[in-house]
Amino acid sequence: MNEDRRSFIKKAGIGLLAGIGSAAGLFPVLSLEKTVLPAWDEKPVPGKRRWGMLIDTRKCSGNCRECVAACHFTHNVPDFGNRKDEVKWIWKSSYENVFPTASNQFQSPEVTGRPYVALCNHCAEPPCTKACPTEATFRRWDGIVSMDYHRCIGCRFCMAACPYGSRSFNWRDPREGIRLASTEYPTRMQGVVEKCNFCSERLVQGKEPACVEACPEAALVFGDLNDPASEIRKLLESNETMQRKPELGTKPSVFYII
Amino acid sequence: MTKKLILTAAGLLLFLLAALYAFRHQESMAESAAAPAPSGVVDSSACIAPKEFMKANHMRVLAEWRHSSVREGNRVWVAPDGRKIDKSLNTCLNCHSSNRMFCFNCHMYANVKPNCWNCHISPMEAP
Repeated sequence: MNEDRRSFIKKAGIGLLAGIGSAAGLFPVLSLEKTVLPAWDEKPVPGKRRWGMLIDTRKCSGNCRECVAACHFTHNVPDFGNRKDEVKWIWKSSYENVFPTASNQFQSPEVTGRPYVALCNHCAEPPCTKACPTEATFRRWDGIVSMDYHRCIGCRFCMAACPYGSRSFNWRDPREGIRLASTEYPTRMQGVVEKCNFCSERLVQGKEPACVEACPEAALVFGDLNDPASEIRKLLESNETMQRKPELGTKPSVFYII
Repeated sequence: MTKKLILTAAGLLLFLLAALYAFRHQESMAESAAAPAPSGVVDSSACIAPKEFMKANHMRVLAEWRHSSVREGNRVWVAPDGRKIDKSLNTCLNCHSSNRMFCFNCHMYANVKPNCWNCHISPMEAP
């Protein structure tokens, strides 16, 4: 009796282990970014697309920071808690800082009192790419002004050239300033410039930018400016919009409904 | 006798549960792989090239991938056997990081210090 029981328990145990083993073998090894084939053309045609964003500032509520939090988490943007080391991809700022050259002299206090979302404008004529000596920053085939961090030597010419303050320099090792790290995107290293990439890593997977997805008021609209049928183009036609410092001729791809 | 029966039943039940769990997981994996996502999830369970080639040339492959995907937007690499593969460091790491020392064993021995891990998450740091 006892011996029977022992051999049975042994066998049951082996069976159980085999079951668990086969289950464990089926689990994915770890949770790094999934490798996904691009959602569109394998070889993009330069100039076919031009990604752009429209920000409806009437919907954007004052204290909400969802877009900033989502973007900075998604891209492992560090936060050191001081202005000197500050790194930012998207942020909120006052009317006079976002539109310092707006021609409307007597804007209503309601409008000038709102905070405005600011990010890289992904200009059609970007001054930063012309300043970069290593071509680390360049205008892509789809209109995104991209950073190749592998090439950046940290000279900060692009920061001086950008009229919108969209670029930040990593004075310190950014990994020290990341509290909650996303494993789906790399960090940067000390001594390189970084900025918004219009979520090019998400666009490849057919997703919208993180800020657009995170906005609870759907105040951010993202789309192809070269496609006359796109939602963003229709909204641009039916609304009066503003751009940041349009007189500089940078032709920003980010538009604002005031 | 009843004891034996109960034990047998319990053992069987446990085994069935484990097997069921494993099978269900397998099924859901198969489903997710077959689901027509806008972009297919890439099977990275097999190496993109023979081991000997990768040992000698992985740095060239990675540098070529980096250039053509980042700067030209050509993200798809077609393997000699026709498989389409995303040009990403994570294509490699999604398998190879199962061994946390995968990159480091050799690099330490050869005293090579690539700067990949200044930014990218290395197998050692992977969750």
